[in-house]
Amino acid sequence: MSIWADSKGDKPTPAIPSATAGGVELSCLVARADLDIHRRRTRWLTLFFMIPFLVIMGRLWLLQVGETDDLARKARSNLVRTSEIGADRGMIYDRSGRLVAGNRVAYDVVVDPRHFQDKPEALALLREFLSLSEADVAGINKRMAAKSKREFVARRDVSRNQIALVETNRVRLPGVSVETRAQRHYPYNELSAHTIGFMNEITGSELERLKEYRYALGDYIGRTGVERSYESILRGSPGFDRKVVDAKGIPQGDEAAEELLGHYRRVEPVPGRDLRLTVDMELQEIMLEALAEHVSGAAVAIDPRDGSVLGLLSKPTFNPNSWTGRLSAEEKRRVDTDPFKPMVDKTTHSWFPGSTFKLVSAAAALGEGYIRPEETLRCPGYYEFGNRRFHCWHRAGHGSINLVDSLKYSCDVYYYKLGEKMGMDRLAQYAYMFGFGERTGIGINGESRGLVPTKDWHRKHSPEGFQHGFTLSTAVGQGDTRVSPLQTALAFGALANGGKLYYPRLVDRIETAEGNVLFEYPARVRRELELAPEIVREIDVGMTAVLNEPGGTAHKHRLNYVNIAGKTGTAQVRGFGRQRLVNGEVTLRHRDHSWFVGYGPAEDPRIVVVVFVEHGGSGSRVAAPVAMKILDRYFREIEGMDPNGRPAFAARGGPRRLGRDSPPRWVRPGSAGLGVEDSFLFGSVETPIERPGRLERAVRKADKAANAAPVDDVPSNPPPSGAGGDGNAAVQGEDAESEGPPSKSDNSEAEPE
Amino acid sequence: MSGSLASIATRIDWVLMLLVGLVAAVGILNLYSSSHALGESFHISQAIWLGLGSGLAAAAAVIDYRNYERWAYLIYGLVLFLLLVVLLVGTTLNGSKRWLDFGLFLLQPSELMKLAVIVLVARIVADMPKTDGYSLYDLAVPMLLLAIPVGMIMLQPDLGTSLVVGFIFFTMMFFHGIRPLSTLVLGGATAVMTPFLWFFVLEDYQKRRVLSFLDLEKDPFGPGWQVRQALIAFGSGGVFGKGHLLGTQVQMGFVPYHESDFAAVNWAEEHGFVGMIVLIALYCGLIAWAVRVARLARDRFGMMIAVGVAALIFWHVIINLGMVLGMLPVVGLTLPLVSYGGSSVITVMIALGLLMNVSLRRHVF
Repeated sequence: MSIWADSKGDKPTPAIPSATAGGVELSCLVARADLDIHRRRTRWLTLFFMIPFLVIMGRLWLLQVGETDDLARKARSNLVRTSEIGADRGMIYDRSGRLVAGNRVAYDVVVDPRHFQDKPEALALLREFLSLSEADVAGINKRMAAKSKREFVARRDVSRNQIALVETNRVRLPGVSVETRAQRHYPYNELSAHTIGFMNEITGSELERLKEYRYALGDYIGRTGVERSYESILRGSPGFDRKVVDAKGIPQGDEAAEELLGHYRRVEPVPGRDLRLTVDMELQEIMLEALAEHVSGAAVAIDPRDGSVLGLLSKPTFNPNSWTGRLSAEEKRRVDTDPFKPMVDKTTHSWFPGSTFKLVSAAAALGEGYIRPEETLRCPGYYEFGNRRFHCWHRAGHGSINLVDSLKYSCDVYYYKLGEKMGMDRLAQYAYMFGFGERTGIGINGESRGLVPTKDWHRKHSPEGFQHGFTLSTAVGQGDTRVSPLQTALAFGALANGGKLYYPRLVDRIETAEGNVLFEYPARVRRELELAPEIVREIDVGMTAVLNEPGGTAHKHRLNYVNIAGKTGTAQVRGFGRQRLVNGEVTLRHRDHSWFVGYGPAEDPRIVVVVFVEHGGSGSRVAAPVAMKILDRYFREIEGMDPNGRPAFAARGGPRRLGRDSPPRWVRPGSAGLGVEDSFLFGSVETPIERPGRLERAVRKADKAANAAPVDDVPSNPPPSGAGGDGNAAVQGEDAESEGPPSKSDNSEAEPE
Repeated sequence: MSGSLASIATRIDWVLMLLVGLVAAVGILNLYSSSHALGESFHISQAIWLGLGSGLAAAAAVIDYRNYERWAYLIYGLVLFLLLVVLLVGTTLNGSKRWLDFGLFLLQPSELMKLAVIVLVARIVADMPKTDGYSLYDLAVPMLLLAIPVGMIMLQPDLGTSLVVGFIFFTMMFFHGIRPLSTLVLGGATAVMTPFLWFFVLEDYQKRRVLSFLDLEKDPFGPGWQVRQALIAFGSGGVFGKGHLLGTQVQMGFVPYHESDFAAVNWAEEHGFVGMIVLIALYCGLIAWAVRVARLARDRFGMMIAVGVAALIFWHVIINLGMVLGMLPVVGLTLPLVSYGGSSVITVMIALGLLMNVSLRRHVF
């Protein structure tokens, strides 16, 4: 301090510059010398000041000259917001133009993380308004933590009350807005859920895979059914709109902004195309009502004249609206744990066929000349093969019966005998001919191919290799064969139309929203059955007898105003015996599958109906009444037939659909003595490939003796008075492990978010 | 007296006038663009402030600087008092208590403290020059005199201004000379103080700025986002810039504070690398000219004043540019005469008036 005081004291009047110049000079004589030191030091000061500027300029050079392209691009992407203009998804109509899948307006609550950040009270408010769950809130927090600038949906499809809450509290909810969106809607709810399918949000892997199709995060995509298979047609092509926006996302309309955009400011979306299905929703409704009593099953109706699918129903069903919108965890759990697997399309899923498969066995036996229609085989109620006894479902036996009787009574022994003669591979050949073992080509829900076992297949898959007993079982539909209801409908369609196996037609045509037809799916014949028309007719007559002759397995379900032909089927899922019985009752999971195929009018079939009831029991008691109910209501309510009329037999004087005059269908050709057999050309049939010789048979018999299984009791069935079931005898060993677990289908399991 | 005034008039430092005029012109042009983006008219207000500042600068230049030497402690005490008043009854804006409300205008005493410190340090050095530099003992009292206002400014809180005040002080002290050993001890003390500063002095938002500087990606919406957008603006400006009023980053609002602390971003985007080189050249010229004035100063006080003014401009420009270029953390500091703001303009103009004062009187001996 003293120094300062001194120096202050040194200074005389330090006021006016000019006057005291000399004084300063005098007083600072000593200081002057080192003032020069500091004057020289100013150079270093300049250097100290300038060096940082060199660094700044270096940085500027790197940014403005080096990285300019990259950063200019970033500036552009800042400015130009490309918003997608979604295309309206195409509608789906049924065959009479009823809307089965359309679009309605839905409101989503959207959060912009740029303005929503660090606002816990806003989140609490949002949670209250939208009644968000813990998981929803966690999801929002996760999105916020991800620091993405992208907007995301807090809750889809909110109610009008919720919109009102959000809108009136806008100020307290920064960055929250309500956006409208077209939501897929299915007016018929669960009525045709499997066929139409449903939609949900696109998954990450799909986004990656479908990159070139310009799907965006949050887009909906067809998940099952027609929605999935016809996705590209229904979806259309999204357009886009490019706008220059400022930092707040507000579009700028001035000229300078327009200039920044260049070309391609807006491309209009191409709307999706409408589909007109062949399915009749009225028939779907009839089917659902007819199957009301049964938990699990399927019904298929086709038009045998062109393969059009008139109805496809799978039970239990689900509501595609809840799967497309907000699926509650509870509902998802309920569906996932349902033992009857509501998400599986049972019409395209494959099952053991039971006696409906006798169609194939009969065709093979006749076609290959192992038997003639009028030729009879004796059924004593069982058939000895090797040292095993294969029972007919009717233990008393059917006596001597011909082809038509064998179908009418669904005699098993008749087919055991033929099966033994024909062999496994011959049966397989005919099964393939009828379209079994291959996909029908309906193209939805990853349909099952089914299974047509051959000798090779057995060698590979059966633990004990191929055994000839398998052939016998297969001939009556009790082997390892699996068929889908749809395959069965098409195969019987081929029978009903005189020999043409069609591809199914599910979509009739593609239209624009204005109704212009863009494409019409033609009826496509898959193959002509290599069967003489007479053989087809003979089997057809047998099928007609099932309903129209006393003793036929479905005689009591016949309609009195129209002739229906058909075939019952009871497919064992478990060998008979103790393991099926719990306290003397057959447990549900061990009960037989019940089948019925019916088509009519028998004279000129316009519809084939297949009813499959999973674990339903006897075909004639369970599936047949359901199918007949469907046929009855179809003819009365949809075709408008007079239920009090007589079957139009008189009108059938003209040419038959097989191109030749024939007697009325209910008159059995054999017994009518009209010489139908003349038309058969057995002589021309080449020698069947498998007709084991005596020696071979002896060897096989010896093999069988070594590992023969005891023959089981057949549960008591009513006598074949028309009300009888037609459960098939089988060897326990064959079927014990063959309960039909639904095989995994490709994409029937949805993966909702 | 009048004669001397007349003689002063003939010695006006036209180079200084020209340099200041050019920087101010850049500032007005730039603010015209910023105003365009925001729908305001900052350039008009800024021109008014510049006019007012010129008047104050002229006043500061005319009064012989040796009077300031005499009043140095008085000026310091007065500004310190104002700072105290700010802490008690200051006006709070954006969470900082920095202003005194005088009805017509808001006064920011921390800005005046920059000037007060320049005058004070010049006085201290002029009073007690040492050929072999200062020891820690010599610096003890001056550093205490620095610590009081810096502490008060930090309490406001205003990190940028307190840093600049400190930097000016040490630039001037180092220019005069500090003994090597003392320099070492000061450096060591700074290193030790830094963690203390971090945990007890810095506010959360200040820490966040530093953190976001260290990792730009970490905080995409906070200061890190601002700097990223600033960098995009720089880079997209390229060599020649996008043109006047055509800088999309600024005009569309991607760069916040482009009228004040981030003014350089607007200039760089619209006028590119070339424009920035011109602006930097002007500042360098101004600083170099201030150093020249220091060299030619008649006495030690005048020399130290000139060095102080050079330091004031230097630190403002370097920290501001370093900040907008993502090389330094974001601390609120203006770009002299280019950023919008009355306090800043007035302070810088008065400082330049002091410089002119020294320059005017260099030929006296």
